[in-house]
Parts: sequence; C-alpha cells; structure tokens
Amino acid sequence: MKLYVPHVGHMEGLQDLLSGPEDIYAVYMAGTPDYVGTGRTNMAAPGIEDIQEQTEYAHDRGVKMEVVLNSSCMGGQHLTPQGYNKIHWYFDRLNDIGIDSITVAEPYFVEMLSRDFDMEIVVSVLSFVDSPQKAEFYEGLGADTIVVDPVVNRDFTKLEAIRDSVSCGLKLLVNEGCLYQCPFRYAHFNFFSHANGPGPKLNVLEDYYYYKCLSIRINDPQQLIRSPWIRPEDIKEYEHITDTFKIGGRTHFNNWILNNVRAYTNRDYDGNLMDLLDCPRDLRDLFYIPNKGLEGALEQWKQCDKVCSKCGYCKRLAERIVQVSSVDGMQQTLQALNNTDG
Amino acid sequence: MTVIEKLANNRRTLENRLQKLLARPVFLIEADVFALPCGCCGITINTRGLQVDDLEIFEEHIKEYLKEASEEMEIEPSFLFARLIPGTSEIASLNSRILCNRCYMDFSRGSGKSPRPDIYILELDRRE
Repeated sequence: MKLYVPHVGHMEGLQDLLSGPEDIYAVYMAGTPDYVGTGRTNMAAPGIEDIQEQTEYAHDRGVKMEVVLNSSCMGGQHLTPQGYNKIHWYFDRLNDIGIDSITVAEPYFVEMLSRDFDMEIVVSVLSFVDSPQKAEFYEGLGADTIVVDPVVNRDFTKLEAIRDSVSCGLKLLVNEGCLYQCPFRYAHFNFFSHANGPGPKLNVLEDYYYYKCLSIRINDPQQLIRSPWIRPEDIKEYEHITDTFKIGGRTHFNNWILNNVRAYTNRDYDGNLMDLLDCPRDLRDLFYIPNKGLEGALEQWKQCDKVCSKCGYCKRLAERIVQVSSVDGMQQTLQALNNTDG
Repeated sequence: MTVIEKLANNRRTLENRLQKLLARPVFLIEADVFALPCGCCGITINTRGLQVDDLEIFEEHIKEYLKEASEEMEIEPSFLFARLIPGTSEIASLNSRILCNRCYMDFSRGSGKSPRPDIYILELDRRE
C-alpha cells in the first residue's frame, strides 16, 4: 500500500512526522498561497526555499514529496497574461526543486503541467472526478494520477468503471468526513480557495458552510454514517481498485496524523471512528462511533442504491451505535437521548 | 473550585440541559469568560446545532439555563442574548454580558429583540 500522508508544512513538523517507524510512502503539503491557493485551510505558507529544504529532507528518508495547489477557483487570474506568467514561473521553480508530484484541481493547470513539466500531475479530489467520463477527460488533459471524489467511495460499480476507463493511477481519500452529496461542497471549497490563495483577502464574518456542516450532523447524526469514509479494516476491499491511499488532514497535529497512519497501515482501529475523520474534527468531542461496531456495514453499502429515504440502513445503524457525550463523560446512544423526557 | 473548573462544569451542565430539553444532540463547542477594553465583560458559549427555532420555542427555558450559567460564574445576568449567523437558522453563541455604558446605549436603543441582524435579545435589564 502506498500511503500519502498530510504534513502541516514547516520543517519542524516534517522532522517530527518522519522521525518514527511509520511506513510513509509520501507526504503532501500546501505551497505558497501567493501563486495558487488550496481548497482547504492551511497552517503554513512555505516559501520556495522552505519547500526545497523539506523536499530534500523527505528524499533523504526515502519519502516522496507532493505539493498541493488545489484551488478550485482562481477567479480567472490564471487566464490573464500576468497570472499565467506568475503561475508558470512558480511551477517551474517547483519542478527545479525536484518535488515528486503536484496536485491541482484546475483543468487548465493539468494541461499546462503536462505540456511543460516532468512532475507527476495529480488531479485533486476537488476536481470532483466521480465518473469514468470525467476520469477520461482528465487523463486526456495529461493527468498521471486522479484522486477520485469520495462521493463514490461506496459505489464499487463506479469505482470499477473509473478504473477500467483510464490507464493513469488512482488514489482514494480514506478519511474525509464530508457530508454525502454535500450541498455546500463547491461553494465551500471555492470560498477556501479565495481565502487561502492570492489576494484580495476576504473580510469574512463567519464560515457559513462550516456552521451548517456541523449543525446538519448534530441535528441528524446518521449523516456521520453516510459520509463516504473508508474504515482501516475495509482497505482490503479497495485493493482491486488501487494500491494508493491518501489520508486527509493537513491542519492536524502530528499525533493525530500518525494515529491515522498507524490505523490505516495496520488496517485496524479499536476506538472512536471520529478520531480518524478529517473534516468534522470538532464533533469528536460530541459523538463516539465505535469503529468496531461498523464491521460488515460495507457489505450493505456495496449493494446500496443510495436512496436513503427508502433504505434507512444508515439511520438505524446510527441510532444503534452512535453515542452522544453527556455530562460527567457519560455517553448515551441516540435512541436513549431521543427517549429523554424534555 | 477554580474559575476554570467552574467554567468547564458550566459548559458541560448547560450542554446536558439543552440536550435533554431538545431530546437531541447539541454541542457547546467553547465557553469563554471575557473582558473587553470598552468595559464590557461576561461569558460567551459557542454553540453548534442550536437553531433559531429552538430559541423561539424554548426561549424561556434557554433563558433560564443561561441565567443560571451566568450566575454560576458570578456574572450578573443583566443582558442575555444569542448571536445568530445572519440570514440563516444557525445560532453561533449564547452570551451573558455586563454592558459598559457605551455598549448599553448601542444594545438598548429601540425596544425590539434584534437591534442588529446577528443579535437576538433574551433579556436586557433597562437602566434608569
């Protein structure tokens, strides 16, 4: 298994991340937001020299370095002469540094990188490749690897069709806890792309999407189960699709990241599934989902036609196993809470 | 009991009461005691999963809970309010604040519950 592991972006973090015995195939980090932003929050804004130093450090330890520039919205800047020159110059520097791969979401960048540079081109999860047709388009533009949209992580017919339609590599993101069919997905990533990219910087009141994202799950915890994460134990079910997996979470502490690395490397985790999920991290203090209690659920999802109102499996499962933290550290299942006298 | 022990206990207790009241999960993601340079001070309890509808239906209950939480922290519950995300059904925080004179003028102008789109007043003791 090739495991791509998030890295917060500074040298001290990288040294710590690679100091242990964990089997890390590659690390990935954001680049300099002055050129191309990213679709997620970043903890660091490494300059070119920083990236070079860290790339050399990773290579010395036999670990590959990937730089993620997966802005889902450039606001058209890349299509201006100035924008094109600036971004092309930056790609050129990254190429000179010797990074192994570069992840982008913008189709134009896929083609630009393919024509002018030798780096492995990875199509980001934020390109939302969820069908064989989209995969073919991106391969046609020059993609070497595609990170498949997790929305199809439990749709094996789609995954197999994507695999059969392209010859490029596929990568699966295992621990994204985003809402299944999230209505905010595009808007939220576009917002992040502007907030974490070249100016003008936004003076935002609140991250509306994140509020809604949490609120929807708190009010309807079956959404936690519906999210298309892949349990460490279920990795084996995906090995006929790919041998390359990615852990999300480049704003987490190394302790959290390494806990994930161990869980997915060992294909075993006896604890709260919420500990492993990247996106709704705040909710791990509210919900306890015993990972071992999810054994066998994938068999149901393999047959699922994703009409939740008719099926109800995730709802029943959530009521049975999702526990809500309560006063004094006690926990109760959703069923018990719903039966509480108000 | 230290201030932080009181605060932690307060957060847990209020979360538990709200969950029981609404019979579903509610998450109080952070509780803070604050002092502002203008002279205002108080507590802010950041919420997730609490909706404006909940407040409208259970206003008296929630107000009472917040009042008790405030008193527990020895903060006079003279001004209790919820901060909303404007244009949405989301409540961002529950607050008890002892207002400085300047902010009192801002909040007390008018007689409605919402002097600003993001403010929902639960209680405001009017001054002479």
